[in-house]
Amino acid sequence: MKEGSFVRIEEHPILTFPKDRRKIEFTFEGKKMVGYEGDTIASALIAQGVKVFSYSHKSKRPRGFFCAVGKCSSCLMMVNGIRNVRTCITPLKDGMDIRRNDEDE
Amino acid sequence: MNECDILVVGGGPAGISAIRSAKLGADVVLIDDGLKLGGQLIKQTHKFFGSAEQFAGMRGVDIANKLVSELYESGTKVLPGATVLGIYEDGVVNYSKDNVVREIKPKRTIVATGAKEKNLLFENNDLPGVYGAGAVQTLVNVYGIKVGNEVLMIGAGNIGLIVTYQLMQAGIHVQAIIEATDHVGGYDVHARKVKRLGIPIIFKHSIKRVDGYNSVEEAIVVKLDDRFNPIPGTEKKFRVDTVCIAVGLSPLAELLWQAGCEMKYIPELGGYVPVRDEDMRTSREDIFVAGDVAGIEEATSAMLEGTIAGTEAARSLGYPVEDDELEKAKSYLNQLRAGPTGKKIRIGLEKLLGKRHSFETNATIHKPSKSTMPKNKRVPVVECFQEIPCNPCEASCPFDAITIGKDINARPSVDYSKCTGCGICALKCPGLAIFMITEDYSDSESLLEIPYEMLPIPRPGDIADGIDRDGNFVCEVKVLGVIKGKDKTNLVRIIIPKEYADRVRSVRVKEYKNDKIVCRCEDVTEKEIVEAIRRGYTSFDELKRLLRVGMGPCGGKNCREEVLKIIARETGKSVEELEVGTYRPPTKPTPFSAFKNE
Ligand SMILES: Cc1cc2nc3c(=O)[nH]c(=O)nc-3n(C[C@H](O)[C@H](O)[C@H](O)COP(=O)(O)OP(=O)(O)OC[C@H]3O[C@@H](n4cnc5c(N)ncnc54)[C@H](O)[C@@H]3O)c2cc1C
Ligand code: SF4
Ligand code: SF4
Ligand code: FES
Repeated sequence: MKEGSFVRIEEHPILTFPKDRRKIEFTFEGKKMVGYEGDTIASALIAQGVKVFSYSHKSKRPRGFFCAVGKCSSCLMMVNGIRNVRTCITPLKDGMDIRRNDEDE
Repeated sequence: MNECDILVVGGGPAGISAIRSAKLGADVVLIDDGLKLGGQLIKQTHKFFGSAEQFAGMRGVDIANKLVSELYESGTKVLPGATVLGIYEDGVVNYSKDNVVREIKPKRTIVATGAKEKNLLFENNDLPGVYGAGAVQTLVNVYGIKVGNEVLMIGAGNIGLIVTYQLMQAGIHVQAIIEATDHVGGYDVHARKVKRLGIPIIFKHSIKRVDGYNSVEEAIVVKLDDRFNPIPGTEKKFRVDTVCIAVGLSPLAELLWQAGCEMKYIPELGGYVPVRDEDMRTSREDIFVAGDVAGIEEATSAMLEGTIAGTEAARSLGYPVEDDELEKAKSYLNQLRAGPTGKKIRIGLEKLLGKRHSFETNATIHKPSKSTMPKNKRVPVVECFQEIPCNPCEASCPFDAITIGKDINARPSVDYSKCTGCGICALKCPGLAIFMITEDYSDSESLLEIPYEMLPIPRPGDIADGIDRDGNFVCEVKVLGVIKGKDKTNLVRIIIPKEYADRVRSVRVKEYKNDKIVCRCEDVTEKEIVEAIRRGYTSFDELKRLLRVGMGPCGGKNCREEVLKIIARETGKSVEELEVGTYRPPTKPTPFSAFKNE
């Protein structure tokens, strides 16, 4: 998937999305990325083209989000060293260190 | 420990409506774990069905804002961003907020936790790119994120239909809707909206598997036999990056299980639901329920159940209640469920409450009747052919020209002698099922006005494509103007040849207007050719293979020279220096049979 603002919706017939939102810098697997005020961790990652949030514990299958409302635990990641954070309902904050929840680390 | 009269768990339409109890004098606390209050409503950009009295015709997002401000005005103590973790034997409830677990002791608890999306089993269903339809709707409508570009929707119920439409509004292309049964489960008006956009609904099919490196790259769909078993050899491949699952919701009832409420498995209501009485009280005296957690239904019924639960909970604590209001809510709820589309809910409730109802009509889609519309003035054509609980058309008409009547499930009828042709109903109808027509606009043309919620919005003077009810091109139309509705539904006014007045029902802005056509047979434009040359395709034969220029019935008679001139211009060579490309027989279109006989 293409990176950057391409995946942010700019024009919509019904909704208006604020244009000049504050930028929030964070890192994903050590790589610098940028999201916006109002993003969750999950929405910021998807906007950057990141779809794989973790690899499953047993078979190491790639996992992404599924419900986006905090009910299915498909989107768990390690945030600032804390495991099993539900990224779809956790607001993005400046300087967050976000990693795939790989048990073998 | 904190105490209160009533604790409401969940800040969706059901939970917020339960704060009626606060208006009756009770001391109420509401806890919700969403990032925003309003439950499912905050991502619904479409106008709601139901009764105009109950916000129908308003967009879900706007209903949410209205409910939330009522919530704050009611004096209820609100704890947003908090999750209820458990309800115990003695009624104590614990919840976590900001990573701290606290306890509260309410006298009554109303559980209005809503529902979650059902899963579907198929090969590799955990691959990123396979998402719940509601999840995609959240990312698109709440966060403004395009989750993918090419989507396959699984399920033609209301959620599948509505999310499909909303994805198209956001500029995300839905290739098809796959449905296991042989009919649309959702409302006919929603199905018509997506069909007009040209999206096929493929019946008696299901998804078999998805494949891709790290995320979905293709989906395999298979035909089902009459017993829903896949038929080998009927696989079809879709190149998509996203698969949305919209196969239903199930009640989010963990708290009720934990609390020891009696539960019953009722598929018609979405799975395990709490046993409760007509006052929405569960088998536990101190616990009430409302909304989707008590059985999957709709926002209107969720609000009514919330009102009932809140009122009864307050009454059980001795707060005085006016019976009128309560009776009104209860009888209204019955009316909503009385129509053919409420059949499933009624069967479910019969099983739950052990009652029998008498009516058992199916949700048939009626045939349009031969109309007696006047031709010489502007009038509405109402294409609403199914009995659904909905009435904003009736409520919005300032001249009482549309009648649905007492039964909200009845279909609208128009009295053309009262209708002034004001067009208000067409802007209001949530099904986008009302079109304004002036059949005798001129001797040869009609004026059609189409409700439109897509981008780009056609501009006056544009020539656009006129599209039929199934999404097929009918004819070119001329855009006369656009009436912008207050709530963002527009009416696009188009002039069409009279003979197509009954066929055109949608309009599409032309993608390639003002293009210079080089090859008429294959519709190849100058722009496409220039772009291909710049990408390195610099001979006629290469361009022919890439763009099919010159491959049509004329055999390149009309375009070869033009193409060569463009190549010359772009490469700085002269035409004589270029390869003319191979000529192949025949020189005019000739059927194969003509050769065989030789
Ligand atoms: C795509 C789609 C289209 C729809 N279109 C229509 C329509 O046109 N017309 C119509 O009438 N209805 C429509 N509906 C249905 C309607 O949105 C739902 O029926 C309604 O929202 C149910 O309300 P509710 O309050 O029961 O649940 P919800 O709206 O789901 O609210 C439940 C709330 O409880 C919170 N919660 C859950 N568990 C906890 C916990 N443990 N602690 C704290 N909080 C918790 C949740 O976060 C949520 O905010 C549609 C639904 C969908 C998905
Ligand atoms: S066009 Fe105006 S007057 Fe006629 S039915 Fe619609 S709202 Fe009523
Ligand atoms: S025509 Fe009336 S009843 Fe039918 S969808 Fe529109 S507003 Fe509802
Ligand atoms: S995606 Fe389901 S909990 Fe986050």
